[in-house]
Amino acid sequence: MASCSTFTQLFLPNSPTPSFSKPRFKHIKATTTTSSLPLSDPLVLRIAETLEDSLTTTPLPSSSSLQKLRDTSSNSVLSLSWPSKKDEAFRFTDTSFIKTSQIKPVSTPSVKLPTDLAHTIFPKLVIIDGYIAGSERINELGSGVFVGSVNEIDCEVIKQRVFEFVSEFQDGDLFWSLNGIGTPDVSVVYVPKECRVEIPLHLMFYSSESEDVGSNVLPVSNPRVLVIVEEGGEIGIIEEYFGGDGKGCYWANSALEMFIGEGGKVTHSYIQRQGPNAAHTKWTVVRQETSSTYKLVEISTGGKLSRHNLHVQQVGGETITELSALHLCLHEQTQDLHSRLVLDHPRGTSQQLHKCIVAHSSGQAVFDGNIKVNRFAQQTNAGQMTRTLLLEPRATVNLKPNLQIIADDVKCSHGAAISDLGKELKDQLFYFLARGINAETCKKALIFSFGAEVIARLPDKSLRENTERH
Amino acid sequence: MREGEVHAVMGKNGSGKSTFSKVLVGHPDYEVTGGTVIFKGENLLDMEPEERSLAGIFMSFQSPVEIPGVSNFDFLHMAYNARQEKQGLPELGTLEFYQIVSTKLGVVKMDPTFLDRNVNVGFSGGERKRNEILQLAVLGADVGILDEIDSGLDVDALQVVAQAVNGLLTSKNSVLMVTHYQRLLDYIKPKYVHIMREPAYKILPVKRTSLNLDKGHLVAVGCMQYPDTRREH
Repeated sequence: MASCSTFTQLFLPNSPTPSFSKPRFKHIKATTTTSSLPLSDPLVLRIAETLEDSLTTTPLPSSSSLQKLRDTSSNSVLSLSWPSKKDEAFRFTDTSFIKTSQIKPVSTPSVKLPTDLAHTIFPKLVIIDGYIAGSERINELGSGVFVGSVNEIDCEVIKQRVFEFVSEFQDGDLFWSLNGIGTPDVSVVYVPKECRVEIPLHLMFYSSESEDVGSNVLPVSNPRVLVIVEEGGEIGIIEEYFGGDGKGCYWANSALEMFIGEGGKVTHSYIQRQGPNAAHTKWTVVRQETSSTYKLVEISTGGKLSRHNLHVQQVGGETITELSALHLCLHEQTQDLHSRLVLDHPRGTSQQLHKCIVAHSSGQAVFDGNIKVNRFAQQTNAGQMTRTLLLEPRATVNLKPNLQIIADDVKCSHGAAISDLGKELKDQLFYFLARGINAETCKKALIFSFGAEVIARLPDKSLRENTERH
Repeated sequence: MREGEVHAVMGKNGSGKSTFSKVLVGHPDYEVTGGTVIFKGENLLDMEPEERSLAGIFMSFQSPVEIPGVSNFDFLHMAYNARQEKQGLPELGTLEFYQIVSTKLGVVKMDPTFLDRNVNVGFSGGERKRNEILQLAVLGADVGILDEIDSGLDVDALQVVAQAVNGLLTSKNSVLMVTHYQRLLDYIKPKYVHIMREPAYKILPVKRTSLNLDKGHLVAVGCMQYPDTRREH
């Protein structure tokens, strides 16, 4: 049943839960005397309102889970303001390019991917500007596996699980909440108990609309994915982001929530190759139950501003978490990874490797890798390593590896290394030159070999080859 | 230097021998303020380092640098294709190039696993020097400058290297050896020896007999003038 929530309606016709009053943004602005509410940021409210408006113009059926998501997000956004450099989480990351633009939510996305971009050898789900546009070969993943819109779920069990988990995570930032308000649909990937999916699932996220640089208008999309892997289930997921027009401006504000049941295994490949003038903000939230395994390989090369917030929460012991990231700044861009791994249970094993290359003098890389080894996470084995290659003068990197350890019987290590155009690199470059290999080829070879360690961790050969070529 | 000739440059530590070879190759740490170097009719000092290499100058470094992440095979492949391109020839694919490289491995007595290792990473001194000669064997050169190729080598390794170099000598190419040990000259017999003199207060007289040059000629006692110090070396 289609249900358009307007600003003054307070009821949900199809919700299993009793309706509750949810403040809407216009309502808040009109009221000037609600002193009990924290002072809301007018810019944020305006953006939230714009996103809400866009959803009312294209009425998609709205399941209860989607409604729950929207409500929770709307509530949270009231106390959030646009991040500034004074906020620790955005100290080195300048979001003014999004802030000063006129945000234009994409409400009529194109229906098809351009054919030259549609290739993949895996079963796929295509999401264009946040709207599900199509899927192929989903049936090959296995019986009981569901991949599709939250509104299309038939099975009651899956519906219940989705409702239970959707927007469970409350520690997000403004972009997380904006995604919850603005997402037109939630793509659900459900893997039942003991189901081992042999072939990976390729989620292709395409941004079809863009505006010229200097127009100050920014089309925005809010794709959202919810992955539930039940006990003993296994799946490989490839998440790939790209845009159409080479030089246009657009903003993709994406969020993916993942719940891995006991003994479950997920290998997650995240490839970000947005256009050079795009803004890409992404949240990945993963909840790991006992003895589950989560392996993430992230390759991020595109976007003018790319910010990945990764939060992995351990809710049971003996988990395995492997996080690898390769960030490349080949032109004037910022590549930012803020990751948080929270360990509250014993005998977890985790390894994090972050590598970035800044090959442009106006390029910037940011890394804040936080690992919390809390009181009950005894016998944790956690390692973290970050390495940077700065290939141009004035290229910048800001690294903050941080481990907060409370448990006293743990094995933790961390390291950070930055190589720049110092003697070592100069000598290497000269060695190439003295053999007739020009500086361009030399840089490419050094970049490639530096990144090879992370690319080698991509689980699928074809993906590795595609990435290497790119 | 003429085609087919072997020259040696000798002198004590600090006399400027390695500086000389680095200047010939175009190392960015040095700026030439006077003098000329003519190579095959062209002014070498006007050329960029990679142009000099492609023109036919090869220098075997005294301390070859490590390049983690780049395999010996890939490095040689890139250098070889750079030369092919310069000569207007088609670039070789991996398999075809492997055929060429594997034949040269025997020259320096190294086995094929060596090609998979990263350039000079974890190599002993002897392995690094042999790697340099392998590169010379694969890429070819009109003038091979061997900068202290004998330093850090034991007798066996030195013999292998020297044999390899001798094997590469033809009537068309030349070798310039920079060294301060006589023993290298026992293996690779020079036609000419150039001596870099000491700073004025420490001149060491050159004795013909100590150089054991039965068939060679002591040609020149060289001078390199350093602008700031006004000392002759």
